[in-house]
Amino acid sequence: MAEIIAALDEQGANTLLDTTIGLIPPQSSSGSENLGPFVAGYSVVATLTNGDVDLIPPDIIRLVDLRVDWDLDLSFGFDLSSILPDFCIPQICIDIPCVGEVCTPRICIDWPTISIPVSFGDFVKATGDFRLDISLVGGVWKVQAVIVGIPNLQFGATTALLLAAIGAAATPILLAIPFIGPFLAIAVNAILLAIGIAGVTGFLGPILTPFISGLKIPIYEQPKLFQILPAESPVDPRVDITIDLIAAAVAHNGAEDELVLTADVSP
Amino acid sequence: MLNTLDSRALQRADCYGQRFMKSGDYPYNIVPAHGALISTDRPFMVRVRDGDTKSGMNQHDVPIKSCAGRFEVPDPELVINVGDMVLWNCNDPNALPYAVVGDHEFFRSNRLVNESGFSHAFGTADDYHWIDAHGSGASGIVRVRDPGCKGEEDLKRWRQTIAKGTLVTINDRNVEPSEVEIVTGQTVFFLVTKGPGISIIDARLLYRSAEETGKG
Repeated sequence: MAEIIAALDEQGANTLLDTTIGLIPPQSSSGSENLGPFVAGYSVVATLTNGDVDLIPPDIIRLVDLRVDWDLDLSFGFDLSSILPDFCIPQICIDIPCVGEVCTPRICIDWPTISIPVSFGDFVKATGDFRLDISLVGGVWKVQAVIVGIPNLQFGATTALLLAAIGAAATPILLAIPFIGPFLAIAVNAILLAIGIAGVTGFLGPILTPFISGLKIPIYEQPKLFQILPAESPVDPRVDITIDLIAAAVAHNGAEDELVLTADVSP
Repeated sequence: MLNTLDSRALQRADCYGQRFMKSGDYPYNIVPAHGALISTDRPFMVRVRDGDTKSGMNQHDVPIKSCAGRFEVPDPELVINVGDMVLWNCNDPNALPYAVVGDHEFFRSNRLVNESGFSHAFGTADDYHWIDAHGSGASGIVRVRDPGCKGEEDLKRWRQTIAKGTLVTINDRNVEPSEVEIVTGQTVFFLVTKGPGISIIDARLLYRSAEETGKG
């Protein structure tokens, strides 16, 4: 029989996970990913906030509405001519009094390659099931909640907002391009249509999912050799105990589900 | 692409036109802008012969090509009649700004003297206060408005509008009209009938240049 038993109900587990998830520092990543037909370089920083805990026997901690707040800087470049037909100024003929007519040639403009930087932040919520994982590594017992599977992130209105941010970022860049002014709305729409909702989802999913899919939440950590009393004098040395075994489970106890940690100890 | 208003540095949406009022040979070169004093080569020629002047002014277009930093024309020797106009344009996206430079003082795109012209298609809505960088005092304003195209009909109207050019005549310091209003994409043809050798540049270029060299 275990010598030490600690149990937390769902409310207690919520408080514990609020604290432990809050202690996870902001995570970041960078790289490149497809944004519709374009390739965008990005850097993203994400922080996690606990949702609601649902304890499910025998070993699942379900976090409902685990929140990921993220700030994203992305930049993508492309040849405008790939989405807009080239534009030609027609031949202009001007009548010069007493001289005659002077005509300029038809002059065609091909659009340049542009780069659009976008900064955007939002949050996404996910529900994930975590399984308890116990290990003894380097003389330290660790109990972690390790996510099971890959939660499906639902971006909802975020995709439309990011598309709007891309449109807003593109507008001043396009306005600086000679002769594009009358086609500005067409050009912005062409960019946004090329990316589309699917492009944004396909971009955000792969860069944000890893912040959750590999998530390990530390629940308990203790050296195997555990001091319970300090040394008081040369004849009264410190007292240690050894934690021989730790077990963790979700147990149904009466009307409540509880997160239960048990430890076997020896002097 | 560049689309600054500067007749000293011709770009894609610019043309330089010159009438030749006397017969003779007029050698010239096409050089990177502001390089006129460096190059003395004159690989191209306009031969002006006494022809049938009663037939009026004919126009000869010279399409310039840019090749590895050099400028080329399809026919190095162009034969025209007295009174004809030659119009140069380089529609090469990779071309550097350039100038057409002849030996004769009147035959230089960077200093328009007489019977010459410079056209510029304005690509961005703004107010352009233009001045002569050579200090003749000639100046004017081109107000370029955004056409505010919201749909197909607007674009159709705009396309019809940009097919019409606007003429500004410069005679010494007299500019007529001194202020014009156009929409984005429209072309203004600056005709110099007589002058001390003027340029037409966006005043901001000169002021910015002066500030950068500490002479502002």
